[in-house]
Amino acid sequence: MHVQTYAPMFMLFVAATAIATLFFTLATVLGPSKPSAEKSLPFECGSDSDGAQHVRLSVKFYLTAILFVVFDIESVFVYPWAIQFRSLGWMGLASMMGFLLVILVGLVYAWKKGALEWET
Amino acid sequence: MMPSILALMPMLVIGFGALALMLAEVLTDAKTGLAVGTAVVLFTAAAFACAGWMVGPENLGDAAVFAPWLVFDRFTLFFEVLLALSGALAALVAGGYLREHGIDRGEFYAILSFSTLGAMMLAAAGDVLMLFVGLETMSIGAYALAGFRRGSPKSAEGALKYFLLGSFAAALMMFGFALLYGATGHTDLAGLHNALASESLRSPSIVIALALVLAGLAFKVSAVPFHMWTPDAYEGAPTPATAFMAASVKAGGFAVLLRVLLTVFGDERSASWATGWPPVVALLAVLTMTVANLVAGRQESIKRMLAYSSIAHAGYLLVGVVAAIRAPAQAQSAVLFYLATYSVSTIGAFAALVLCGSRGAEVVSYEDLAGLGRRHPAVALPFAFFILSLAGMPPMAGFFGKWFVFKAAMDAGLHGLTVIAFINSVIAAYYYLKVFVFLYMREPAAGAPIAKPMWSGEVVTAIALCAFFVLLLGLAPGAVLDAALAVGGAG
Repeated sequence: MHVQTYAPMFMLFVAATAIATLFFTLATVLGPSKPSAEKSLPFECGSDSDGAQHVRLSVKFYLTAILFVVFDIESVFVYPWAIQFRSLGWMGLASMMGFLLVILVGLVYAWKKGALEWET
Repeated sequence: MMPSILALMPMLVIGFGALALMLAEVLTDAKTGLAVGTAVVLFTAAAFACAGWMVGPENLGDAAVFAPWLVFDRFTLFFEVLLALSGALAALVAGGYLREHGIDRGEFYAILSFSTLGAMMLAAAGDVLMLFVGLETMSIGAYALAGFRRGSPKSAEGALKYFLLGSFAAALMMFGFALLYGATGHTDLAGLHNALASESLRSPSIVIALALVLAGLAFKVSAVPFHMWTPDAYEGAPTPATAFMAASVKAGGFAVLLRVLLTVFGDERSASWATGWPPVVALLAVLTMTVANLVAGRQESIKRMLAYSSIAHAGYLLVGVVAAIRAPAQAQSAVLFYLATYSVSTIGAFAALVLCGSRGAEVVSYEDLAGLGRRHPAVALPFAFFILSLAGMPPMAGFFGKWFVFKAAMDAGLHGLTVIAFINSVIAAYYYLKVFVFLYMREPAAGAPIAKPMWSGEVVTAIALCAFFVLLLGLAPGAVLDAALAVGGAG
């Protein structure tokens, strides 16, 4: 019953698929290809892609990653708020300050707990 | 302006209180005050909720301007008081337990407070998205509390099972709500209700959505067959966290179960015996009571027995939920009253269990209780007292809780269901009385490890408060019952 409202979504999917396909095809057809043993290795963010599977990573990576997510989400919220700052008025300012306060307390907590120390 | 802030005060107090507790933990060295501080924050929140009750939610009209996704009615306020009190009692128990067992890390109290806040948001949610945020706030806290004994493999196992199954159940529920949104175009509960009540709307996706939402909610209240996580999580969690999960998380689950079934699916077609959810919930109730009671009798571990007992209590509560289709006000107030009696009884039982053991000499199995009544009558008595209330012996609170739920079911004409519930409470007496046999009639086997009681002012305070509420609800249930009836009348 609301199908027509999803038409832009559908068009977005079609456009995204078409553009991705186009770029892959162009790269394959036009690009020079000089494979070597080194180049043919699977790319794994600069790490060696073979070796033991069960490498024990330090929990510090997890802490850093989760803190990154927290402050990333913060900026995701702050940008749209900043654009609509005037129309949201004092209520919007108060809400955002409340949100930032919560995040700030979280930062102080993480700091004091030593989550930001790498060398421990 | 002022009254609307009053409506939000319980949640604001807990939210900012929990932040302050977090800061207090890292900025000061004071470890001992955190449990009492948490209890003070939560008691304050309960006091504000009581104030809101006295002013009357109908006089807090402009609260909707501040928080349009929350519903402030007597139903919400009743749960706010219940959840704040349960959280405070669990925090007091934690104060003694964590110190005794050498896991006195301050984040327990902040997590417990945030989880309580989530349960309140769940009870107050007037919108599906708010409901989901509340559910996750409550649940993520509960997962963390379940795994709080980091060194114990059992704790980790229980927490992981709880987390995986819990996230899955939440996803099922969200999928159900997404289908409802697709069919109706609404996310607010009232709008969903109106859309479902209109005769023109008939879509198979609504039935699928109902099934998915019901499965997710049945998981949260640990109804059979969605109960598999409960014994492991309850056994592995530190005992105060178990008490919190058994009381607050279950109360939050029932709050949202009542709200969703009676508001969203409260239309004539969904709430009729022939075409809607009542037979399904009735089947869940019968399965939950019967399976839990039969399995509880076979447990060796006291905590697992109490876990199955809490599942069985969810079954009795579901009987009340089914009765709500024919006598909404009476059955709903019976369920609320039962939740109040069950919460104080179960927290009291876990608190007394904490007091029975000390570090390295905890009470794990029935055998550990052998002879405790003779050696340490002062700690055996509270445990026996709360077990009696859970068993539903008059004049304890548990008796009147069961009485009102069964009466509501009888008045609703659910005779078969009431008889099954009654038979089940007789079966349950077996494993509750087994505690008495071991406490007062057995002696420990020669050379067996003997549980040594611990001492803690916080735990004793929690026990005293629980005992007060159990006796109050048992001997003078009038005030709380009137409050529960006022909820039913308004809702």
